[in-house]
Amino acid sequence: MEKVKIKEYVSLTKTYRFSAGHRLFIKSLSDEENFKIFDTCSNPNGHGHDYSIEVKLTGDIDPETGMIYSLEDLDKIMKLVIEDLDHKRLDIEVPYFENDQPTGENIAKYIWNKIKPSLSDKLIHLKLSETSNSYFEYYEEGNYPYER
Amino acid sequence: MEVVQCANYAILFGFKGVLELMGFKKLLTKKMEFSASHRYWNQEWSEEKNIEVFGKSAGPHGHGHNYNLEVTVEGEVDAETGMIINLYELKSVMTEVLVDFDHKHLNEDTPHFKSLVPTTENIARVLWELLEEKLENNLKCSLYRVRLYETQDLYVDYWRK
Repeated sequence: MEKVKIKEYVSLTKTYRFSAGHRLFIKSLSDEENFKIFDTCSNPNGHGHDYSIEVKLTGDIDPETGMIYSLEDLDKIMKLVIEDLDHKRLDIEVPYFENDQPTGENIAKYIWNKIKPSLSDKLIHLKLSETSNSYFEYYEEGNYPYER
Repeated sequence: MEVVQCANYAILFGFKGVLELMGFKKLLTKKMEFSASHRYWNQEWSEEKNIEVFGKSAGPHGHGHNYNLEVTVEGEVDAETGMIINLYELKSVMTEVLVDFDHKHLNEDTPHFKSLVPTTENIARVLWELLEEKLENNLKCSLYRVRLYETQDLYVDYWRK
């Protein structure tokens, strides 16, 4: 870098994937009422999706490594989270979703809360795609000036 | 930041004036693919430390990727041509810049990474500098963002203000 301090913005986005099953169902309601709210998502035996998670990190480029964050470390963090979800029936096999509906919104929040402590300020945005036609975003308001 | 600026303008120019000043953002993005090899290696470090930090990416002969570059420029739409920038001009700027990168070993064959590790972050930064220099003569638009995909699952966004 030159001697003049230039304000630069760098972010790195990596995609991870997992596949899981779920059923959207409120236990206190009848099957009919659930079907009114969740439609086919409440079918009794569940169904599955290929999810993808896009994790966006920001920070300064370390002059020695040339990196914002070690990708190897990020992989390790994400592997731990994905292990608990991949090829599982979320509302039955993952205790967190016994009470919270395993919707895209809640899965995104769940992943965010799992990885935020390790990534701290570097984590600025998380995008969870459930299908190629629907995705969910989770980030702290006012803390995401990286819209470019 | 921009909200604060708008609020200041509101005091100065009134609401209608603000709308005129705010206008619309006009962006144009062009993509281009290039293939290159690289090796993650910090010359200041021992071989052990390089392998410890960079793992497989420190392999002695390097490895390659199909990079995808997305260049976004910002500017006004010319009333006569209907363009922010002539796409042929942007294409030739990008092609000229990428001559140094396409089918090259970034550490060995280019002057840019002799003492800089060719990570996606650093490649994006160097591309920004080279593109900005070439676009300096074009007064009608400015470089807005460089997005560089190393693989389909990994990209870096880079911009300066």
